[in-house]
Amino acid sequence: MKLREIFTNGIFKENPIFKLVIGMCPTIAVTTAAINGIGMGLATTFVLICSNLVISLLKDFIPSKIRIPSYIVIIATFVTIVGMVMEAYLPDLYDSLGIFIPLIVVNCIILARAETFASKNPPIPSIVDGLGIGLGFTLSLTILGSIRELLGAGTLFNMQVMPNSYEPALIMILPAGAFITLGLLTGLINKFTTKMD
Amino acid sequence: MSETWTLGLKLFIITAVAGFILGFTNYLTEQPIMKQRIQADMEARLAVLPSAKEFEEIEIDEVADENSKIIEIYRAVDADNNIVGYTFKVLTSGFGGDVEVIVGINSDGIIEGIRIGEHSETPGLGAKASEEGFTEQFAGKAIDMPIEVNKTGDLADNEIQAITGATITSECVSNAVNLAINYYSESLIGGIDN
Repeated sequence: MKLREIFTNGIFKENPIFKLVIGMCPTIAVTTAAINGIGMGLATTFVLICSNLVISLLKDFIPSKIRIPSYIVIIATFVTIVGMVMEAYLPDLYDSLGIFIPLIVVNCIILARAETFASKNPPIPSIVDGLGIGLGFTLSLTILGSIRELLGAGTLFNMQVMPNSYEPALIMILPAGAFITLGLLTGLINKFTTKMD
Repeated sequence: MSETWTLGLKLFIITAVAGFILGFTNYLTEQPIMKQRIQADMEARLAVLPSAKEFEEIEIDEVADENSKIIEIYRAVDADNNIVGYTFKVLTSGFGGDVEVIVGINSDGIIEGIRIGEHSETPGLGAKASEEGFTEQFAGKAIDMPIEVNKTGDLADNEIQAITGATITSECVSNAVNLAINYYSESLIGGIDN
């Protein structure tokens, strides 16, 4: 596979949310606003690129029988380091992204890419895969967050969009709204993409 | 070497390296993180009591009611060492977990401001409590009457407007502020705190 294909694969064909349907827990939790989607997505992308690189480099060292505990240790180490360094040296960024960092440890997208891609491919394609999947995740979260924020709060990126007479549909920013939006969007996207195939 | 030993050894190497890297990162970041937290606490106290120059923590016995607990009180002094008021850090149970409320009361018995610290309220609903639109309602309230939450409009002097859809959060914040008010009226009024 060419690098370009690997990159776009993560955004479209293997989009983690709409195609692979993994990482649902943080997806439901953080998409109450568009800005949260971007924050969670970018933090995940960073960890994904780093963990993919390290796992790809260590793929001949890690025996397949103990690969899952090894991956989890590597991922958790990265997440913890990112959290500590960010809090110490980038406090403003930590204030806005900090709440997402611990969530990344339990994000199965990272483990899934370690298992299905990084452990079988060289470092450079693994980095590109991390970038592609990460941006695909960011994009999808932002779309979900935008829809929920617009209907549930009448705003977009914290700016008032809907006229004042619009009564926000509170259900959209509660968990039920996440399931409704996610279900409809996944259905729509699959309807159009399967036609194209 | 048997396979079990190889596997064990490799896993040990991975975890040992991870442990070492984490320990080293912790060693490097511990001090800056402490500084950041102290700085953030200081900024929060200054935000709720802007007339203060310096703060000094005072010892208190446990003060709590069913919902809230005072965890820290600071005496605030101005440049000439006169007491200008007190700041309280109160932990209260909100809708999604504990909510940290910082309250500043000046020596005239007026709430100068409040801030919401760490919380896990619902984004878009209870989380709006940390926005200025909600917190600034408390500024300027006198402490002679407990603060009440009003859901309909037409606010009396001691009332604040509840956040739409987040009555529990609104009430827990006002409950925390009232606990600070009570403690101030009973134990700190007139600057006698020892």
